[in-house]
Amino acid sequence: MLNRILISVMTLTAALLMSVGVAAAFDDAQYPNLKGQWIRERAPAGVTGQGPFDPTKSWGHAQQAPLTPEYKAKFEESLADQAEGGPGFWPGARCLPPGMPAMMTNFRPMEIIVKPETTWILIDHIHETHRRIFTDGRRWPEWVEPTFDGYSIGQWIDTDGDGRYDVLEVETRHFKGPRTFEPSGMPLHDDNKTVIKERIYLDKADPNLLHDEMTVVDSALTKPWSVDKKFRRVKEARPYWPEDICAEGQAMIHVGKETYWVAGDGHLMPVKKGQAPPDLRYFKQPPK
Amino acid sequence: MRGSIAAITLATVLALFMGSAGAHDESKYPDWAGQWRRPPGIANQFDTSKPPREGQKPPLTAEYQAIWEANLKDQAAGGQGTDPTYICIPDGMPRAMNVIFPMEIIIMPKTTYILIEYLSMLRRVYTDGRSFPEDFEPSFMGYSVGKWVDKDGDGRYDELEIETRLLKNPRAFDASGIPLHEDGKTVVKERIYQDKADPNVLYDEITTIDSALAQPWVVTKKYVRELRPLIWFESICSEGNQHVRIGKENYMVGADGLLMPAKKNQLPPDLRHFSAEATGATGEAKR
Repeated sequence: MLNRILISVMTLTAALLMSVGVAAAFDDAQYPNLKGQWIRERAPAGVTGQGPFDPTKSWGHAQQAPLTPEYKAKFEESLADQAEGGPGFWPGARCLPPGMPAMMTNFRPMEIIVKPETTWILIDHIHETHRRIFTDGRRWPEWVEPTFDGYSIGQWIDTDGDGRYDVLEVETRHFKGPRTFEPSGMPLHDDNKTVIKERIYLDKADPNLLHDEMTVVDSALTKPWSVDKKFRRVKEARPYWPEDICAEGQAMIHVGKETYWVAGDGHLMPVKKGQAPPDLRYFKQPPK
Repeated sequence: MRGSIAAITLATVLALFMGSAGAHDESKYPDWAGQWRRPPGIANQFDTSKPPREGQKPPLTAEYQAIWEANLKDQAAGGQGTDPTYICIPDGMPRAMNVIFPMEIIIMPKTTYILIEYLSMLRRVYTDGRSFPEDFEPSFMGYSVGKWVDKDGDGRYDELEIETRLLKNPRAFDASGIPLHEDGKTVVKERIYQDKADPNVLYDEITTIDSALAQPWVVTKKYVRELRPLIWFESICSEGNQHVRIGKENYMVGADGLLMPAKKNQLPPDLRHFSAEATGATGEAKR
């Protein structure tokens, strides 16, 4: 008798589950709650610079990046150019997206959308806007068009065995350049063979603190470089999402390899002392 | 009999439990997953049922018709006219829905996200029952409030109605520079729905109300779902963009990295802020 009831229960349960469309339901409860707006965690006291790659240290030399001698020399070149008023190697100065890994410095607020097959990371900064992390079990494709943000494959992990995923492991490859670690212009290698591994998870003690433990493997580095990026969830239920249009009001323009400013009066001006103006050989008319 | 009641009760409880309070029941929403593109043979004009440029016959007011015609002359002479996107400003609404490069739609219960690869445009359509905010920073993509509708009463949503306001300028309807009014008071209403006979076809009926128009302009966009393995690529406008704007003038940078006129007999930029020494050493000497 008991067995018959049990069989009836199982049969009815299966029928109910099928009829209510649970097959198509996506159970949020299986995933960590990453909803809302995330901003870069406040830097520790004394840390300076716009968006250092290692958030615990000031940007530039203080990062103590494990660069090869060749790329250390390039980094010095970028710093020297910036000291004179130039943009250095920071691609953002040309309205190019920082790409990975610099985009995860969160220069603008971040939103994370989780679905079983894909996790999207939306950051409205320059031309970034969205990262797709494929969590559908795919392998690396044979051919991928290189991009600044790279191609990301992820896997959700239940590290504490409570039946709920708590870590998203991500590996990102297939990049294009130029990319730098931070606005100081600390470069990644021109070969673009960067591999970035991330572990994204909520802080055990603070559900409004998100970690992105990131390890960068790159030919410009003498060893893998690991940092822990942290993000803070804002309290507003309906946060303001700013639109970041780099080209709007951009006063810096680039002609060939030279950078200039467009002054408030609409005329071209040098960014460095003694800088030559652009070559005007293609104009028939003299300058005004 | 008692056994059957027990079975039904237990089954119901189990089903409810397994469904869980956190579930997002995707079966309530249409399946718009994947990559959506303009159909083959459809160009970039706003009203895809009509030829581009003059063939669009937009219902502009006399004032804005004159602005548009002046723009067409400027474009014919090598200028950019009233199309602002050459310096990598996004299309904004409603032009973004021309979907130059592919589009992805992500449906979540409180927000539907529309990601358009061209110019990396992102729309958030709020479907959480909110009203338009009283004070909000205008943007090119605007502020979009949406509502899911079950038109045929089958218990499943089949249409997303959207209203978009709070837009900023400059914007144009398409690359021919059909202008929107500089007051920025555009209201865009959309009905997005799938073809009844073909789930791989999506429509967006767009009604644009704007002070530059003598009457609302209604067009219906068609998108087709990509059925081949998906390739998403980045559209980085600034990468290799040969246009530079100095003041109100648009110039080009040639393949040799030198500044060039964009129009015949265009004057070069004013170099008054450069020292005589620097100008004499290079700019003037090489001119």
